[in-house]
Amino acid sequence: MNHAVERYLAPTSLTQALAVLAESGGATVLAGGTDLMPQSRAGRVKFARTLLNIRRVPGMDMVEVADGKLLLGALVTISTLVDHPLVRDHAPLLSQAADHFASDQIRNAATLGGNLCNASPAGDTLTPLMALDAEIELVGLDGTGVLQSRWLPLDGFFTGPGRTQRKPNELLRGVRLPVAPDDQKVAFYKAGVRPALDISTISIAFAARRRDRAILHDVRLALGAVAPTPIRARRTEALLEGKALTAELVRVAAASAASEATPIDDVRASGWYRKELVLNMTQRILEDVGNN
Amino acid sequence: MSEVLQSTAPSTLIGQRIPKLDAPDKAAGRTRYVHDIQLPGQLYGAILRSERVHARILRIDTSKARALPGVSAVITAADIPDQRPIGVVKDNLPLKTDRVRSLRDEIAAVAAESEELARHALTLIEVEYEDLSAVTDAADSLLPGAMLIHPPIAGAKSGDPVGLAGRDDNIAMRFDYVHGDVGQGEAESDVIVEDTFYLHYVTHCCMGVSGVIAEFDAKGNLLLYSNTQVPFLHKREFAEYLHIDPSRVRIIQPPIGGGFGSKLDIYPFEVICVYLARATGRPVRMVYTREEEFMASPTRQPVRLTLRSGCKKDGTLTFRSVHTLHDNGAYTSWGATTPVVMMQAFASLYRLPHCEYHTVAVYSNNPYAGSFRGYGNLQATFAIESHMEKMAAAIGMDPLAFRLKNAHVKGEETGQGNIFRSCGFQDCLKIAAERSDFLHKWREYTGKQKEPGRFKRGVGLAAMLHVGGGAKIYQSDGCGTIIKIDDFGHVTLITGASEIGQGSETVLAQLVCEELGLPISAVSVVNNDTEITPWDVGVHASRTTFVAGNSAIGAARKAKDKILEAAAPRFACAPEDLDMKGGGIVRKATGEMLTNLPRFIRSLHFAQQSDLVITTNYYEPPSVHFDKGYKGDISAAYSWAAQVVEVEVDLDTGAVRLVKVTGAHDVGRVLNRLGLEGQIEGGVVMGQGYALTEDLQVEGGKIRNPNFRDYKLVTAPEVPQMDISFVESMDGEGPQGAKGVGEAPAISMAAAIANAIENATGVRITSLPFTPERVYRALHGALPELPTTPKVAA
Repeated sequence: MNHAVERYLAPTSLTQALAVLAESGGATVLAGGTDLMPQSRAGRVKFARTLLNIRRVPGMDMVEVADGKLLLGALVTISTLVDHPLVRDHAPLLSQAADHFASDQIRNAATLGGNLCNASPAGDTLTPLMALDAEIELVGLDGTGVLQSRWLPLDGFFTGPGRTQRKPNELLRGVRLPVAPDDQKVAFYKAGVRPALDISTISIAFAARRRDRAILHDVRLALGAVAPTPIRARRTEALLEGKALTAELVRVAAASAASEATPIDDVRASGWYRKELVLNMTQRILEDVGNN
Repeated sequence: MSEVLQSTAPSTLIGQRIPKLDAPDKAAGRTRYVHDIQLPGQLYGAILRSERVHARILRIDTSKARALPGVSAVITAADIPDQRPIGVVKDNLPLKTDRVRSLRDEIAAVAAESEELARHALTLIEVEYEDLSAVTDAADSLLPGAMLIHPPIAGAKSGDPVGLAGRDDNIAMRFDYVHGDVGQGEAESDVIVEDTFYLHYVTHCCMGVSGVIAEFDAKGNLLLYSNTQVPFLHKREFAEYLHIDPSRVRIIQPPIGGGFGSKLDIYPFEVICVYLARATGRPVRMVYTREEEFMASPTRQPVRLTLRSGCKKDGTLTFRSVHTLHDNGAYTSWGATTPVVMMQAFASLYRLPHCEYHTVAVYSNNPYAGSFRGYGNLQATFAIESHMEKMAAAIGMDPLAFRLKNAHVKGEETGQGNIFRSCGFQDCLKIAAERSDFLHKWREYTGKQKEPGRFKRGVGLAAMLHVGGGAKIYQSDGCGTIIKIDDFGHVTLITGASEIGQGSETVLAQLVCEELGLPISAVSVVNNDTEITPWDVGVHASRTTFVAGNSAIGAARKAKDKILEAAAPRFACAPEDLDMKGGGIVRKATGEMLTNLPRFIRSLHFAQQSDLVITTNYYEPPSVHFDKGYKGDISAAYSWAAQVVEVEVDLDTGAVRLVKVTGAHDVGRVLNRLGLEGQIEGGVVMGQGYALTEDLQVEGGKIRNPNFRDYKLVTAPEVPQMDISFVESMDGEGPQGAKGVGEAPAISMAAAIANAIENATGVRITSLPFTPERVYRALHGALPELPTTPKVAA
């Protein structure tokens, strides 16, 4: 299959897994494998000598609510994000976005942690989690073999296409995000050549609080596939923050979102078209929020 | 052992819904494709392909690969001094010698103990290239001084093919056709319309990737397990390439995971696999990866097309003049010959007094094009049926009336010499229009184009003509059948016609059972071994049901005649007084069952003057070859269809949703309704993919999306609602009146969708595909202008 791989390990504890990662030469981490395998076949990912399957590490597939936060383990599958009642109730935006993810077969194997660490600017769970103020936990062993943990805001985790703040000796253990407040309005939009089984041409995740058609609070607008990483459209968020949606504001905000996008031309679309989509669809999303 | 056959089946099998005979095994995962075959001692082959679009090969070093344990052979052109160029004009050496002309070009091959090992060995082969400037645009290929893709080779003998002699231009093939006098047609026109169309690359995407197993026996006879659609033609060709007697080549076809025309030609990998088997003395299996399937398979031919046509104010078409330019790619496969089919659409889809068509296929450093379901007709019909819409608008006629005005009727002969002995074209147009409420919706949506709103609806009509009774391209367009009825009344139908998933074995079994008065369970079909089956030209041109069907019916009739002649004296009557029905021999007048079939067959077999019931038949359709001007009645029957599509266009994104397809197909007669519906539905979806989602992106000779993630087939949620009607024109020559339909449903989809987008938005798009970005660009005037297709002097 791949002649670079000399050793396959499937540890049954987190410490074992982290110990393997801490070895010199590190390891290629395998969870669902739904991106890893095609990427390696296409020559875009080179395997390390050790292939580390983390799926047998216990506890990393948890879905829990505690202290006003939804906690999701890195091995939670995309299918779980679509179907799990806690995700549907407390992170409807994430659940909705996950239902745009690939096909059922891929959703059953692909993991949340894999989608995040893969760090594709077009990753389907990235923009909703950024719009929901998610944080991620990275764990690793220090020089004395003691487990160290650090939490980072998801926004800032991504440093480029396929690149993140994760150090080679670290694993992403899980994600936490505030449970959705009652007055949260969310919207997710994904463009593609076909309505299913597609990589997004662009994606937009929107979240804000709004009671009784009044002003918007805590506005979050995340854009996917329009920059080297998914981005928060912060200037547009600031334009909308504390305002009531008017036709004029919607128009200005949509133009602002498009100006924050810096997409490239690639096999899926041109940069020009991506900006047009951000403009048109931000406008549609805000109109829909305004009308509901 | 029951000898009494059940006769609860309906009185006729014709028109029934008969499940495919191979369906249970396929559904249960029991079907053994070429990928599943493991012969004792089998090795695995893999090919090293060029990493350059156009380059000289300076050095190949295979020493490291040869040294790898488990590798049995590594070969390059240097190891095969007797290589012969393959392909339609013999311009393709299986292993390239000193030059690569496209990214897929074969440089070396390995046979090893496992597929992994073989692929690993490829990475150890070193190749040094010197890049040459590349021609990756068909129009550039024609420019004076253009880089020659097959430059003349010094020392070639006169009469050597392109692969040995080269050429002093980049023209792979050309066709010039004319009937009538286009100048006179122009003079008689009230309106003349000219349009240019660009058609893109798509590829077949068979579920089963390409594969072959080659094995020599101790006497040097070659056995190929091959996915070919044309086993008998390939038997002869392989023999030629290998310098052996054709009778020493045997081809067995394991069940084929999709063909769609992709397996009409011999490709380098098949010949290379044979070289590896010869070099190692062991069976070698070579199966593509999916990426390789995209990179190294033929494509549908990309075409640039300029169409100029005229009509009178009353809608009568006066003339058509067409120029097309085909990007042939680096080598010539069947794609270069698609103009032969395209010219039929140009000349004969509508009543047309004057027509001319000039075309060239040019070499480039792009992937090379092959044959693909519809064989050029998708490209031609996209242009014609888009263009017809503009002409109708120019004279203020509705699209349906304009087509009906020019649509052929039974008995007409076209300028090309096609004779329409059965013709349901007018019915197809009327039924598709009526069942879809076409005219009403077309007017309604035209009126709503300028109204505000994000989503726009549109309807579009398009029609098509295709051969439906074979096509006399080769010396014979025939098919042979052997029928054997055994002591238990079981029928073995041995046919030359290959099954490639289209359902031919089921329909052939059905036709035989209908003749012999047997249930479908009484027959098994043998159709995949050239050592056993009689000759057939191959699966192409929508011909199998028609040609192999008539052949099978003929063999069944001979068997029936033999049985009834033997039976007549025993029942003291004439053979004409008897019939075969319900699994036995009956008195025709009364239906009285005289004997069951197994008992009667045994009485023939175990008698003093014993005899077996085995019959043969060869059917040659009464069509004719084209003359030198491409004129003649090339098919024994012609199939027609009209399709109305309804779309919804998202103005915000350019996304086009195909909502509904209403089709009416002149199929002659419905034989297996289930199989027919499957063919039509599958073809509609293939046409939908061609129009809306599929796009093999070739840039600078490189395929940018060689995988199913980025090459987008239509998936289940996009399959539209379908309302398909069948027009039964009862063709006099067809088997039970039927005509071929395999290619028909895909042909007019792109034109119908183009017309529907125009009806929805007022914007006419003349290049494919209609992906969201391209449609969005068109809506904003941001698609590039299409230059007129260059004319090439003869």
